[in-house]
Amino acid sequence: MAKADRWFGTYHPLGSAVERWSVGVKYALLLGLSLPCFIIQRWPLTSAALLAAAGLLLAAKLRARQALGLAPGFFSLVVVLAVFHAVTGDWLGGLVVAGNLVLALWAARLVTMTTPASLLIDALVTVARPFSRLGLQPERFGLAVHIMLRSLPRLSGALAGARQAAAARGLRGHVGRQVTQVAVQAVGYAQATGDAMTARGLGDGER
Amino acid sequence: MIKLDGVTVAADTPAGPKTILDAITCQLPEQRVALVGGNGSGKSTFLRLVNGLAAPSAGRVEVDGLDLAANAAEVRRRVGFVFTDPMAQLLMPTPVEDVELSLSRVIRKRSERRAEAWRRLAAWGLESVAETSLYDLSGGERQLAALVTVLAVDPAVIAADEPTTLLDLRNARRLREAFAALSQQVVVATHDLAWAADFERVLVIDAGRIAADGAPGETISFYRRLAGDG
Repeated sequence: MAKADRWFGTYHPLGSAVERWSVGVKYALLLGLSLPCFIIQRWPLTSAALLAAAGLLLAAKLRARQALGLAPGFFSLVVVLAVFHAVTGDWLGGLVVAGNLVLALWAARLVTMTTPASLLIDALVTVARPFSRLGLQPERFGLAVHIMLRSLPRLSGALAGARQAAAARGLRGHVGRQVTQVAVQAVGYAQATGDAMTARGLGDGER
Repeated sequence: MIKLDGVTVAADTPAGPKTILDAITCQLPEQRVALVGGNGSGKSTFLRLVNGLAAPSAGRVEVDGLDLAANAAEVRRRVGFVFTDPMAQLLMPTPVEDVELSLSRVIRKRSERRAEAWRRLAAWGLESVAETSLYDLSGGERQLAALVTVLAVDPAVIAADEPTTLLDLRNARRLREAFAALSQQVVVATHDLAWAADFERVLVIDAGRIAADGAPGETISFYRRLAGDG
């Protein structure tokens, strides 16, 4: 589970200058680095953005492996996509697609690994506040997005657990059963999270 | 004071309707109350009623004179709930952020909130792990952090559902000591009979009913006989 927690990365105070930048600047960097690459789809731009993102992550005093490492599942996905493009005759396009995905992850880590979650939520709440006239509750929105992000590594951990449990019983290759097991765990996890929020009165009033 | 008056909780299951709690009536004015009983006996549902996580199908639940049905939010503000698994309870990546989340209901200013969160954690000896990822904490530290997040909003009652079940001996002792130091009314469901013996009053829940109710000595002996353990 600890490994899964580091999928997107967790904030640890390291006292870097990047850490002290405002959340707005970091979100702007996230979009500024990744969006043009996804739109323009050219390898020089993707390469430059990858270098910039890696440089910023290292400047944030994060360990290289922690900041730049890819989870096996994500790495496999990237390789499959790149190979698919290569097989269809567009190997450069494959590299760009793979590079853009890695870039998106690194740019996201630039935000999540250098900013306390509470600040991220506050930033989302601020952005969502104008929509309160339309009935949106900004505090709940911010918390909901955070809970959604929190659940991703948990589900990834559940999938790894299901695989190990199947392997321990000599049941390799039963993907359907593993997915069912993870789905059941996901429902249980959602129920437990809902209970925790209700018990803490987080749905009862304003934050 | 916690008051249950003819409380029944029923649920629809694939096998048909099931009564989880059956016409429970009791008053709990004591400061320290333990619920013991087998798995599926209904003690967790009893606790969840006190916090409003479960609603009665019939009957009435009151906390400090407030009817749960009409004042669920206010009851939840008065009753803090500690879950068995702190990882389900803690929503933020680190203890200090989670305590801040609890405090966000009562302290608006960020800097004050953070300072108060640190103060609360320090009071329980958790300042050294305040900014540590939850995944890097020991089971005892996680459960203690969960308790601090609950205490942060100064509830009048703490309901805890088997809080020591996932802990090793040392951490379980640490948590029992933490609960012993609380000034709030404490209602705990537990399988730890040695701990239950430290409480003022013990209720034995069996098949959705209160099978025994009284001082720890007699009720725990009754429960042991009921469970075929002496």
